Amino acid sequence: MSTTTLPVVSTVRSDARLTFGGILRSEWIKITSLRSTFWSLAIIVVLNLGISLLFASTMASAGLPAGPSAGFTLTTATVGIMFGQLVAAVLGVLAMSGEYSTGMIRSTLTAAPSRLPVLAAKAIVLFGLVTVVGLIALFGSWAATYPMFAALDLAVGLGEPGFALALIGGATYLGLIAVFALGLGTLLRSAAGGIAAALGVILILPVVLQLLGIAVEWVRDLVPYLLSSAGESMGSLATDAEASGTLEPWAGALVVLAWAAVSLLFAAIALRGRDA
Amino acid sequence: MIEAQQLTKRFGARTAVDGVDFTVAAGRVTGFLGPNGAGKSTTMRMIVGLDRPTAGSVTVNGKPYREHRAPLREVGVLLDAKAVHTGRTAQKHLLAMAATHGIGSARVKEVIELAGLESVARKRVGGFSLGMGQRLGIAAALLGDPATIILDEPVNGLDPEGVRWVRTLVRRLATEGRTVLLSSHLMSEMAQTADHLIVLGRGRVIADAPVSEVIARATGSAVRVRTPELARLAQAIAGADVTVTTLDDGAAQISGLSSEQVGDAAAAAGVALHELVSLTASLEDAYLSLTADDVEYRSGAQSAQEVAR
Repeated sequence: MSTTTLPVVSTVRSDARLTFGGILRSEWIKITSLRSTFWSLAIIVVLNLGISLLFASTMASAGLPAGPSAGFTLTTATVGIMFGQLVAAVLGVLAMSGEYSTGMIRSTLTAAPSRLPVLAAKAIVLFGLVTVVGLIALFGSWAATYPMFAALDLAVGLGEPGFALALIGGATYLGLIAVFALGLGTLLRSAAGGIAAALGVILILPVVLQLLGIAVEWVRDLVPYLLSSAGESMGSLATDAEASGTLEPWAGALVVLAWAAVSLLFAAIALRGRDA
Repeated sequence: MIEAQQLTKRFGARTAVDGVDFTVAAGRVTGFLGPNGAGKSTTMRMIVGLDRPTAGSVTVNGKPYREHRAPLREVGVLLDAKAVHTGRTAQKHLLAMAATHGIGSARVKEVIELAGLESVARKRVGGFSLGMGQRLGIAAALLGDPATIILDEPVNGLDPEGVRWVRTLVRRLATEGRTVLLSSHLMSEMAQTADHLIVLGRGRVIADAPVSEVIARATGSAVRVRTPELARLAQAIAGADVTVTTLDDGAAQISGLSSEQVGDAAAAAGVALHELVSLTASLEDAYLSLTADDVEYRSGAQSAQEVAR
C-alpha cells in the first residue's frame, strides 16, 4: 500500500462547527449504514404483512362479524405489532449497545463531547425511522387484506372514524418502543442486558402482574398502564376501550410516552456522568 | 497547546493518574512515554473528555475540550483501543464523524487518500487488519484539520511503509505549528520522531524535558578508550564519580567523564590513546533506567534476573 504525503490544502471550512443538526445527520448516517437496521426494519414490515394475511385468510373459519367491523379489521391489521415491537426493541437497544461493544462510542463522544445531544439525536432518528416503517407495515397490512374483507362484504375503509388514527397510533407505539429500548441500551451498555430488560418489561411484566393480580386486587388496576397494554390501547378504537376496560388511545399514548421519557431520562443521567 | 494541572484520576482504590502537571507545546512533537499502566491512555482520555478527572483539570487551547464550539477542529485523537463500529464501512464512519461538524465529503475523501485507504473505503471495518484500522483511526483524527493531534500508539500494527508515513506525517504536523502528543512503546521510533518527552511512571511525571536531555540525564556520559597504558590513564583521571571498566575486547569504558576530559587528562599525563569514542546511550536505555522503579507489570524473565542479583 502506498501513501502520499500530506496535501497542503485542506477543505475543512473555518466555520465548520458542532451543531445539533450535524449530530442528527451523523446519527442518520450511522443508523442507515448498518445492515442490522435494514434487516430489522424489513422484518417489521414482513412480519406484519404476513401475520395479517394469515389472520385474514383464516377468518372465515374463526367466526366472522355480522357486518363490516372497524374493530375486527383493525385487529387483523395490527396483530403483527405483538412481534414487531420486539424487533423495534432490539433495534433500539443495538443503536447504543453496538457503540459500546465496538468502541464506536469513544469516536461519537469525542466528536460530540456534550454527550446528551447524541442521545437526543439517536432518539429522534430512531423514532422517525421506526414510526415511518410502522406506518408502511400497518397501512400495508390493511391494504393487503382489504380484498379478502371485500370478498366477504366486510371491507372497512380508512375513512371509518378512528380507524386511520389507530393505525397511526400503532406505528407511533413501535417508534416509542425503539426509543424506550434505546434508553435501556444506553443504561446497560450491553446488547444482551438491554434486550433482556426490554423484553422483560414488554413480555414478562404483564404476566407477573396478572399472576399477582389474582391475589392482590389493586395490582390488577396497574395492568392498563403497562408499556405493552398502553401500546395496545394506542392501536385500538376509542369505542372499544370502555368495553374492554383498557385506556383510551390518547391516554395510552401518554402512558407509552412516559415510559419512553423515563427510560431516556435515566439514560441521560448515566451517559452524562459516566466515563466513556 | 495542552495544559494539565494537578490532573488526577482514581478508579476505585487505584490511582491511575496522580496529580500530574505538564504542558504540551505547539510546533513540536511531544512523546508520551511510560510503562503499561502508567496512566498515559487515561490522561489522553481525560484530555478529550471521555474520562472525567477525579481532581485537577486539563485544557486544550485554553478551554476544557467539551467547551469548544468545534471540538474536532481543536483536537484530533487516535485512542489505543478500536473506536469504530465494525459493521460500518470506513467511508460511512468518516462521513458520520464529519457530519457532526458540517465537514463535507470532500474532506472525507481527502483523509481517505491521505491514509491510503482508497481501496478499502467501501469495505466494512470488521474485516480490517490492525494496520488498516490504525490508518482509519489516523484519518479520523485528521478529519477536522485539528490544531492539536493526539495519537496513542499510532504505529501499532503498521507495516514499515506505514511506520515511516506516520513519522513523516507527525513531523510535518508539528512543522505546521500544530501541537502533537504521541505515545509509543517503540523507543527507536520515538527517538526519531519526538522533540520533547513526557515520561509517566505510576501516574506521576518522572521526566519532562527535550529528548537529548532525557537521555543524557538518565544514563550519564560514557567514553570508550583503548590505550596500552590503561593503569596510568586510570590514575590520571581517578575521582569520586569516575569508574573504569575493562571490556572484553581490551578497550575500557569510562563513565563520569566526557571524551574531552578523558582526552585532555591523557595528553597531560602523556598517555597514548589508540581510540577515544564518546558513547551516547539509546533512548531505550535511558527510558528503561528512568522507569526501572515504576514498572507495574514486569515480565517473568526480568524478575528472575532481579532475583539473581
